[in-house]
Amino acid sequence: MGNSKDRIKFNVGGRIFETTSTTLANAGRDSFFGALFDDDWNLSPPPTKQDHLFFIDRNPDCFAVLLDLLRTGDLNLPATIPERLLHREASFYGLLRHVRTARWGPFDGNRLRLSDSVKGIAPGDGTAVRAGPDGGCCVAHGSVVHVFDWMLEEHCPINLDYQRVNDVGWIDSDNIVLSACEKLGRGDGGMGLFSSSTGDLRYKFQVCHENQVKSYTAGALSFNQDYKIFSSCKGRSNEYGIGVWDQITGKQTDFFYESTGWSLGDADKLQWLNGLNCLLVATLFPRKDNCYISLLDFRDKNMVWSWSDIGSPMAIDEKRVRDAIAMEDSSSICVVNEFEDLGFIDLRMYGGSVRWSSRSRLMKSKMPDEPCYPKLALHEGQLFSSMNDSISVFCGPDWVLTSRLRRSYGGSICDFSIGGDRLFALHSEENVFDVWETPPSPII
Amino acid sequence: MSNQKKRNFQIEAFKHRVVVDPKYADKTWQILDRAIHQIYNQDASGLSFEELYRNAYNMVLHKFGDKLYTGFIATMTAHLKDKSKLIEAAQGGSFLEELNKKWNEHNKALEMIRDILMYMDRTYIESTKKPHVHPMGLSLWRDNVVHSPKIHARLLNTLLDLVHKERTGEVIDRGLVRNVTKMFMDLGESVYRDDFEKPFLDASSEFYKVESMEFIEACDCGDYLKKAEKRLTEEIDRVGHYLDGKSEDKITSVVEKEMIANHMQRLVHMENSGLVTMLLNDKYEDLGRMYNLFRRVTSGLATVRDVMTSHLREMGKQLVTDPEKSKDPVEFVQRLLDERDKYDKIISTAFGNDKTFQNASNSSFEYFINLNARSPEFISLFVDDKLRKGLKGIADADVEVVLDKVMMLFRYLQEKDVFEKYYKQHLAKRLLSGKTVSDDAEKSLIVKLKTECGYQFTSKLEGMFTDMKTSEDTMRGFYGSHPELSEGPTLIVQVLTTGSWPTQPAVPCNLPAEVSVLCEKFRSYYLGTHTGRRLSWQTNMGTADIKAIFGKGQKHELNVSTFQMCVLMLFNNSDRLSYKEIEQATEIPAPDLKRCLQSLACVKGKNVIKKEPMSKDIGEEDLFSVNDKFTSKFYKVKIGTVVAQKETEPEKQETRQRVEEDRKPQIEAAIVRIMKSRKILDHNNIIAEVTKQLQPRFLANPTEIKKRIESLIERDFLERDNTDRKLYRYLA
Repeated sequence: MGNSKDRIKFNVGGRIFETTSTTLANAGRDSFFGALFDDDWNLSPPPTKQDHLFFIDRNPDCFAVLLDLLRTGDLNLPATIPERLLHREASFYGLLRHVRTARWGPFDGNRLRLSDSVKGIAPGDGTAVRAGPDGGCCVAHGSVVHVFDWMLEEHCPINLDYQRVNDVGWIDSDNIVLSACEKLGRGDGGMGLFSSSTGDLRYKFQVCHENQVKSYTAGALSFNQDYKIFSSCKGRSNEYGIGVWDQITGKQTDFFYESTGWSLGDADKLQWLNGLNCLLVATLFPRKDNCYISLLDFRDKNMVWSWSDIGSPMAIDEKRVRDAIAMEDSSSICVVNEFEDLGFIDLRMYGGSVRWSSRSRLMKSKMPDEPCYPKLALHEGQLFSSMNDSISVFCGPDWVLTSRLRRSYGGSICDFSIGGDRLFALHSEENVFDVWETPPSPII
Repeated sequence: MSNQKKRNFQIEAFKHRVVVDPKYADKTWQILDRAIHQIYNQDASGLSFEELYRNAYNMVLHKFGDKLYTGFIATMTAHLKDKSKLIEAAQGGSFLEELNKKWNEHNKALEMIRDILMYMDRTYIESTKKPHVHPMGLSLWRDNVVHSPKIHARLLNTLLDLVHKERTGEVIDRGLVRNVTKMFMDLGESVYRDDFEKPFLDASSEFYKVESMEFIEACDCGDYLKKAEKRLTEEIDRVGHYLDGKSEDKITSVVEKEMIANHMQRLVHMENSGLVTMLLNDKYEDLGRMYNLFRRVTSGLATVRDVMTSHLREMGKQLVTDPEKSKDPVEFVQRLLDERDKYDKIISTAFGNDKTFQNASNSSFEYFINLNARSPEFISLFVDDKLRKGLKGIADADVEVVLDKVMMLFRYLQEKDVFEKYYKQHLAKRLLSGKTVSDDAEKSLIVKLKTECGYQFTSKLEGMFTDMKTSEDTMRGFYGSHPELSEGPTLIVQVLTTGSWPTQPAVPCNLPAEVSVLCEKFRSYYLGTHTGRRLSWQTNMGTADIKAIFGKGQKHELNVSTFQMCVLMLFNNSDRLSYKEIEQATEIPAPDLKRCLQSLACVKGKNVIKKEPMSKDIGEEDLFSVNDKFTSKFYKVKIGTVVAQKETEPEKQETRQRVEEDRKPQIEAAIVRIMKSRKILDHNNIIAEVTKQLQPRFLANPTEIKKRIESLIERDFLERDNTDRKLYRYLA
């Protein structure tokens, strides 16, 4: 190990660095250092010339930071170095991935710290924020979707030419699916696949009814592990339901028509359930007068479970379901009302009722001027619910409130999303989004 | 910036400096281009990786990524064109070596170029979705070298030539061929498949087509198969040595098609060495080889199976219909068993216990065994023979083996009820004459029959055993209650239940007075202990041991049948009797009497009676007297009855008739059972169902079934439908 043959000296931008080839091997073959010390290049110093210097014409301060990153796996950025400069240097050496993994730790809802806030240009009323798989995110705002990479640098926005975006989803770090309203008389709308780096349209998904291509409005989106895309669809001539497309071929593979007296095409939320092999479809107040939640099995085109609040007595405080999420581990569906009361419906029973846990009655007193309906998310056994300007984290079998994320700037949270080990919260007033990360694990 | 300002300050020179050198991109590219040349010329030792990487980085950074990318492609293309010229120039055998050398050089150079252009690979190519440097380098090699017109065909021919040489026994440089095929695989699956694998398979197909024609003309079937097997393993080895593993299935299927599938019929039917010869000569190894090779091709096994079946059927047919062979039933059955053993062994050792072959063999046996109507009788006789004497001194386990084999044959029989009939007769004889060797063996066989055909089939046979047992007890009771009878002749009576035993009309016969007294005592004892029974004497089935003293005082104990005893007892009172006198005194039916006298007077060494005139046959006018000169070295002399072990022609007819008689109620029962559940059924379906139901016992004759249906209609069990005469209705 301490063998002097292993030692390597660099002159980086005039400063001398000494390290070992073992340290540099941490960079991997697909990096500047990996190539530099490959046998092909025959560049390793001759044993006689102990003090051979490799010259690199780069910034020595950043080199020091990156060398420490290779040595310890930790990223310590002095205040004097701008982040962008470090990213630029890391990109030169092929160490961007190393920087990214060192920036933040594995996601844990109870250890989140606010790491950044990104302000949008236009004020207010963002539609949705969606976390990408590698730490980036995209924000839908009217007919534009702004795409950010994990360095939070904005790429070319996706512009839909005045069609309103309803939902966004990441297929992978390079591909985004958009669902948009149909524009009357234009035959546009529907669903498209866009490049996240250039914002170009790559593919347009079509709906066929009786072998005729129809224009449609696509609503909520969901994906499953079999490379299928699900979307709630509203066609012009009552073709309401859930469409299914194949991500690889781009072709429509199925369509689940809405039955009378039920709502699928207007759904706010789709969620694919892996264990049950079903799709959760939720259409919620106030999009419709009533709430409809159902589980669809596409193999035999069957609605295997359903719940609706039609006919249930309206209490004085009017508890209406505003978001729903299925929790397969506990075979139940968690719902939330506008006062952030959580409720649970048992999935194993047909026609069960909501068991409300009236926990947060205090909240009712101070409603903000512009309230946002609560939203729910589930991530690795932790339940997240947004209310006004904060996000609550619930854990354990009884869903105890364990943390609350709050920032008093930007107004209510209209949407949030978890992915790439980060949580993104979009605020309604200023169109600003917060990035919450788990700090790297402690030293001991 | 306003014009005003511009006039005030002369900053022109500064402006020029800020602008990037317009030739910057060209200059930088020159450096990289030269480096690529040097790398290709293996002159890279003077290059600075850091400098080249930085230059490539700068080009991409300053938005010259496109120039860099197209430049790299152009330079590499030019180089590869040069290389391909060099390869083309290589003479003869060095061609492949040159190609391989250049390929290795290219790979190394490509690796280094990729290192220099790593930043471009990661950023510019990533965002423009162009092919990465390494795959690009491979496709350039493919297009400029492998697909270059002067190399493409030559390369392929060289490779195929080498393979051909190896097939004809020459030693080739496998390492080199492996490297080249590896190159094809590295260039992509489709390149390997289209540029090498497909032509290789075509050439192989042609090669084996020719070779198989040569072989089939020159070799017999066994040798041909050996060669085919060898070729097959060679090809599989070849894949291991220098081809892609995925080619194995394809090349083996080529060999299978050319060497086996195309010559299948000819091989199987080859004169003096084909399948039939192999079967006849027990060539297990060849048969096994044929099975393993033919299994690989479609309908291969079916062909083998068909030929085997037809041979087996033909052979079996000859066996069972040969009148010479049916003379000795034991020999006949033994031959069948031997054939079965033989085919069992062939199927288990050579055909991998293939179920379809077992079925084929079974159905063939079933086919020909039933060709001979006397098979059931013969099998029963075989069992009889074995159980009488054949099994003496054989271990229990071996007895089981023999019985199991017999059961196999029994399973083939269609007329199992005929077998039952014969078996009953033979068993009765064995039991009554006390000839059975082993009760265990008898019972074991009955258990086997029971598992095969059910309780009904063996209930009567079991009844016979029970009768034997109870008779023993009855005799003990009889002598226990009549202690005075210990003196004088001993009578052993076996009381047989009517119905369980093969019925034969009781033949009346006058027993000697000493015996008939005893019989009367037994009758009153038996009827005294059992009420509501009737006894009738079956004298034709009995035996007797009598003591005789001949003229010169020779004492012997004669073991004779009851009839013979009656005759011999007559000579206690008179020295000489005529046939007529004997007939009157005993009232034994003439054929039996004749047989009985024949065995007493005409068998050499056992002629206790003299006959005048001395002749073989018994005449109505003959005279009989005691043979005083009778001698024998044994004290006990067994006088057999002259009986044909096999049935005589009329007896056979009789058995047959009895079987037919017995079948009638069974057929009727089956018809009624079916009609009871179906209520209405048409004629054809009844026939089909009845046949199916009776299959385990016998093959019902449709005309007989029709007769039974008519009889049932007469007796108002069934009626014909008024509108459709083909339909029958069940009348409850």
